[in-house]
Amino acid sequence: MMEAATSPDYLLEVRGLRKYFLIHKGFLRKLVGQVRAVDDVSFSIERGQTLALVGESGCGKTTTARCIIRAHAPTAGQILFRTDADTVVDVAQLPKRQLRPLRRQMQMIFQDPYSSLNPRKTLLDIVGEPLLVNGLKNRQERVARVADLLRLVGLQPEYMRRFPHAFSGGQRQRVGIARALALHPSLIVADEPVSALDVSVQAQILNLLQDLQAQFKLTYLFVAHDLSVVKHVSDRVAVMYVGQIVESAPTEALYTAPKHPYTESLLSAVPKPDPRLRAQRIVLEGEVADPAHPPSGCHFHPRCPYVLPVCRTEPPALEAIAPGHFVRCHRARELTLRGVGS
Amino acid sequence: MAAADQPILDVRDLRTYFFREEGTVKAVDGASFEVFAGRTVGIVGESGCGKTVTAKSILRIVERPGRVVGGQIYLRRAAHNGQASTVDLATLDPDGAEIRRIRGGDIALVFQEPMSSISPVHTIGNQMVETVQLHTGLGASAAREQAIEMLRLVGIPKPERRIDEYAFQLSGGLRQRAMIALALGGHPRILIADEPTTALDVTTQAQILDLLRHLQAQEQMAIVLITHNLGVVAEMCDEVVVMYLGRVVERGPVDAIFHAPKHPYTRMLLRSIPSIHAQVRTKLPTIAGSIPHPFNRPRGCPFHPRCPDFMPGVCDQNEPELRAVSESQAVSCFLYGAP
Repeated sequence: MMEAATSPDYLLEVRGLRKYFLIHKGFLRKLVGQVRAVDDVSFSIERGQTLALVGESGCGKTTTARCIIRAHAPTAGQILFRTDADTVVDVAQLPKRQLRPLRRQMQMIFQDPYSSLNPRKTLLDIVGEPLLVNGLKNRQERVARVADLLRLVGLQPEYMRRFPHAFSGGQRQRVGIARALALHPSLIVADEPVSALDVSVQAQILNLLQDLQAQFKLTYLFVAHDLSVVKHVSDRVAVMYVGQIVESAPTEALYTAPKHPYTESLLSAVPKPDPRLRAQRIVLEGEVADPAHPPSGCHFHPRCPYVLPVCRTEPPALEAIAPGHFVRCHRARELTLRGVGS
Repeated sequence: MAAADQPILDVRDLRTYFFREEGTVKAVDGASFEVFAGRTVGIVGESGCGKTVTAKSILRIVERPGRVVGGQIYLRRAAHNGQASTVDLATLDPDGAEIRRIRGGDIALVFQEPMSSISPVHTIGNQMVETVQLHTGLGASAAREQAIEMLRLVGIPKPERRIDEYAFQLSGGLRQRAMIALALGGHPRILIADEPTTALDVTTQAQILDLLRHLQAQEQMAIVLITHNLGVVAEMCDEVVVMYLGRVVERGPVDAIFHAPKHPYTRMLLRSIPSIHAQVRTKLPTIAGSIPHPFNRPRGCPFHPRCPDFMPGVCDQNEPELRAVSESQAVSCFLYGAP
């Protein structure tokens, strides 16, 4: 079986993941097309490491994350997850019943700390709920465990009887993290966990996530659009464009020596907080392609400054151009692109 | 004439309070800054610092129970006889004819979320023609021509077709362009842009920032850019105003703010932003605590509970005033002068 091939270092290995959403129209719900939100995505994450999935809106990064925790049923592909019992299961194929014990091991942190916490429940209820559902019926034990969890994320346990509205955005995000940690997960899927927070609070949460990772050997799949944030937290970065990974590499290599023109332009478009660096930015023409009608050949070709005739017709494959460095571009080996230094 | 080195907008000690049942929120409590033609002022700060209320106060569109309770907002405008005249917007009737001529005429506003600021039930063209006619008095077909020209100017492809579309038919980037075109319809001399690129992707953001710079050069427009993104400020602004809990804590030229920040808040804010130039997997310096709720504004300097340079008995007792520390830079902090 394919499952056996996965290395013991990997906690998660995704192979050829696809998620198509069908578009129905009219009274008879006739099928008129499909959105290829995730279209052949493969990556792996080593235990205790962080992989960042970056890209612009509609690139499929959130859909990929949701497939991994099986909030969406994938259309095709494998999601190989190494369980706490050291067996490898394909999350993509598991029936719902067998999925349940796994849910404990993979948890999610959400973007919006306002809508992801039930306003009618106290922190004790919110953080204690996963404990209750998983059999910790004794209230006193639960209170003690919630107090531990709140301390762990930097909140005072005395707050546990308060409701979410009494807390700031950063504090709420801490509550969401405490809830995710309640059941000792091995994989945390964090979908834009700091993008709704103020700058001064964002740094606190990023540091907290790193401390917790070191303390509990957590593995993170970090979904984000902000390349500056990503550089502070991730070991590897995968850049997505219109449902596909166009480049994935160790963080340092991706930033200093990008090999895909889209990565280059993303890095260049990030506004640098230094007025002396008002450099010539690469401003891409046009807009992100519609995943319901992706362009022929390479999906990036209509916006690519280095386009060749072949790019319009032949879709490029994701190829390794250096150990651990994968690029989906016909010209990956010949182009010298501009990165950002440390 | 010395008009060029005089500000076209001069905000002095602006105070806008919200009178709620639970108490008074001093959303803006003494903000002062100047805006010059052809230049960009950035107003930066985190949530609750009063940057958006400042913008709304200038246009006198603060919602109840908010009210401009103090300060002056001097707008210099060309009068009918060619002479410049100055009007204090803070004294105008917010429903009066004069401020309504100024809104969209002298000063235009671009919001963060274009979908909620463009009417969903009128075409882009409908709304633009209305603005153009209101401020220029052109006839319907001439106004439509001008509207199409505006859409072309902001880089909307096939403007003669797009003009008859509705907001929902446009993508986020095109909608923000349409919003800018709408704002430019009355040829404003001051454009207030409130988080104009926050809802956009980075590559679209780069396009919109380029567009704003280009339009500014062409129209000699002044831009007041309100944002929390210090990267955008560094790229766009000439002067920067840093706000915290309704007060200006520091003000100065962009280079001084980024390379010689004086106020502890400015210094720490700059250090805590994630940088694309950072070493991989490094921790960020943080600012302790969180922004206080506006009802519980700390006594004295509003930043003192989070400040590393807090001086007991000084910062928690007295409120610092904004004082000049150089010809162009001003800071409100007792480190630079005792109370």
